Amino acid sequence: MADPMAAISAAITMAGTGIATAWAEKVVGGATVGAMAEKPELFGRGLILMVLPETIIVFGLVVALQLLAKVA
Amino acid sequence: MLRPEPMTRALIVGPREKLESTIEGLHAMQLLHVMDHHGEDETFGIGKPLAQASELSDSLVKIRSMMSILAVKAPPKEKAAIAVADLREKIRGLEINILEEDGTRKKIESLLADLGRRIEELRPFATLGLPLELYRDYESISVLVGRIPREPEIAALLPEAEVFRAEGIVAVFVRKEQAEAASDSLGKLGFSQLDIPKDRGDPKALLRQTEADEAKWTSRLLEVQGRLEKFRQRYAGFVVAAEEALEVEVEKAEAPLRFAVSDHSFVIDGWLPTSRFRELSSRLAPTGVHVEASPPPRGHDQEDPPVLLKNPKPARPFEFLIHLYSTPSYRELDPTVFLGIAFPFFFGFMVGDAGYGALFLVIGVIAFWKLPMDSVLRRLLLVVGMGGAWSFVLGLFVFGEAFGIPFHPAFGHEEELSWAMLGIDIPLEAIIHKTFAIADMIYFSILFAAIHLGFGYIFGFVNEAHHNRKHAIAKLGWFACLFGIFTMLTYILRWNEIAAWVWEVPLGWFPRAIEPLGISLFLGVPMPLLSFILILLGALLGLLESVIAPLEVASLLANVMSYTRLAGIGIGKAAIAGALNGQIFTSLLLTGDTLLFIMGILFLFLAQALVFLLGGISAGIQAVRLNYVEAFIKFYKGNGIPFRPFGKRTTQEV
Repeated sequence: MADPMAAISAAITMAGTGIATAWAEKVVGGATVGAMAEKPELFGRGLILMVLPETIIVFGLVVALQLLAKVA
Repeated sequence: MLRPEPMTRALIVGPREKLESTIEGLHAMQLLHVMDHHGEDETFGIGKPLAQASELSDSLVKIRSMMSILAVKAPPKEKAAIAVADLREKIRGLEINILEEDGTRKKIESLLADLGRRIEELRPFATLGLPLELYRDYESISVLVGRIPREPEIAALLPEAEVFRAEGIVAVFVRKEQAEAASDSLGKLGFSQLDIPKDRGDPKALLRQTEADEAKWTSRLLEVQGRLEKFRQRYAGFVVAAEEALEVEVEKAEAPLRFAVSDHSFVIDGWLPTSRFRELSSRLAPTGVHVEASPPPRGHDQEDPPVLLKNPKPARPFEFLIHLYSTPSYRELDPTVFLGIAFPFFFGFMVGDAGYGALFLVIGVIAFWKLPMDSVLRRLLLVVGMGGAWSFVLGLFVFGEAFGIPFHPAFGHEEELSWAMLGIDIPLEAIIHKTFAIADMIYFSILFAAIHLGFGYIFGFVNEAHHNRKHAIAKLGWFACLFGIFTMLTYILRWNEIAAWVWEVPLGWFPRAIEPLGISLFLGVPMPLLSFILILLGALLGLLESVIAPLEVASLLANVMSYTRLAGIGIGKAAIAGALNGQIFTSLLLTGDTLLFIMGILFLFLAQALVFLLGGISAGIQAVRLNYVEAFIKFYKGNGIPFRPFGKRTTQEV
């Protein structure tokens, strides 16, 4: 590893965005399941809202890969 | 293929005495999606149920209560043949027997519960052994009886009291004026007071008596349960079949509630596939009712026809994924084929492994042959199977990998585990080594994003072209914007071989001039002039759709980046498999120790199952999501009414 700081940065990026995604999905998912219990046809819309925060960790992944590419 | 089945509106008009025979006919044909009449007309009100409706509903309620008493759940293998005419008598006869047994059972159960409580109450007193009348009716003495976890100190604690002890139980006789103090000090030892039974005499004898009663009633309960079980075995088939038959009859008898009925005539309004209108009219016209057709309304203020999707056979398993999101409306393109092409490919790209792909494919084939046609599980597994086919092909020819182990080690990583290292030489070279060619994977993701979203905008244009020109032009604008973003990313990433090839060959015609004003440089990246213009054009045309459209350029960029999950999951899965395989092979399987070898086989099986399931689930969810979220939002509205012909029974499955 040429630059341990870059590797640590990548790890922090993944951890941070992972936690952020989990937190956001927890909030949305709970509400979605509640709404679906009343109206099952909301599944489609619910799933969309539920998975939207996943984009956060995908961005995290892109940034982490960029950082690691710098290291290599 | 891209449009749902064309529908025709049918009006069936006839004299009232023909109502019942018409209902029979319609129910048997299973053709017409009935539109409910809401009785907003003065002459035509909502019809009344047929005469037999209340009797039938009554029987249905009874049979359902019997079903719950007998705990009949799954339909038995063979169902009894049912004649609706003599159903009522049979149900009444059965009801008397079953309800009586059920009543007896409930009585015995409540009696047993009482006896159980009494046994609990008597047991501590039986261990103490004092006759029950000795615990009460004193003038100057209080009695405290209860459970106590620790007992040795009691005598020392209450010197003036008389204490009787048995296992975990104490009875304390104490002067009334000291009762409170005694209770406090007992409380500190964890004393919990018990109520004294109202009876007299020896508690041991009482307890024996109650226990004997309990045993007697338990055996009675078993007898009753045995009889009910016999009923269940004998009549389960009948009950299930009768419930089904009655449901159908009730549906028919209550159908007039959905029709417009006047004093002497009735009107049934509904939709059916245009291709089958002739069938309906030729079957009904001879019975003396009139059938009239009208084409679907063009305007948007009127009710849309129900939607029956019409797709080629290979795309049909995907229809349930579309309905899960939302049924398409009658006026928009049916995205089943769009999803049916994109989903399996994305799934295959993410799994990207010949071994797991073959397994998914086998599961799909088994589901195709073994599962019933209308089961949702079958459709789900077929969808996964098609993904498995892509995964097999890509794993074999592009990624050169099976069960997480590459065919040959990547260049410069000869120490890595590979099939060649295990002595199996597969004459196929990987074009992309997933774990090392991260940039290739990411560029492929962006390329797929451009194609997938591009088709999304084309669909959107077609959908909007018919009713809103401005929105249609905005869709073209977004298409241009997407192309701008794609060319920009290709330009930036052209240090990568594949991006360079795309930039040089398919995009060879694209003007190379860099945006001269340096605005894009200010944003962080120099970009080709034409890309910049296309992105701006998209933002401007987007204004036709909404005023905040220019901000949406960023969200489109985010959508494109979101496809990098294709690369992410693909690499992640390969990395997990690689790590597990590497550990198991080097430290267990290849050590030469027999015991470790057996353990290694076990661990290898578990690890493979884990990667297989994890890969399947995450690839499946992400592939669905890319379609639902990124692509469908660009063009798909849904909210259609699914076509449910009168008389068709829906199979309820989870």
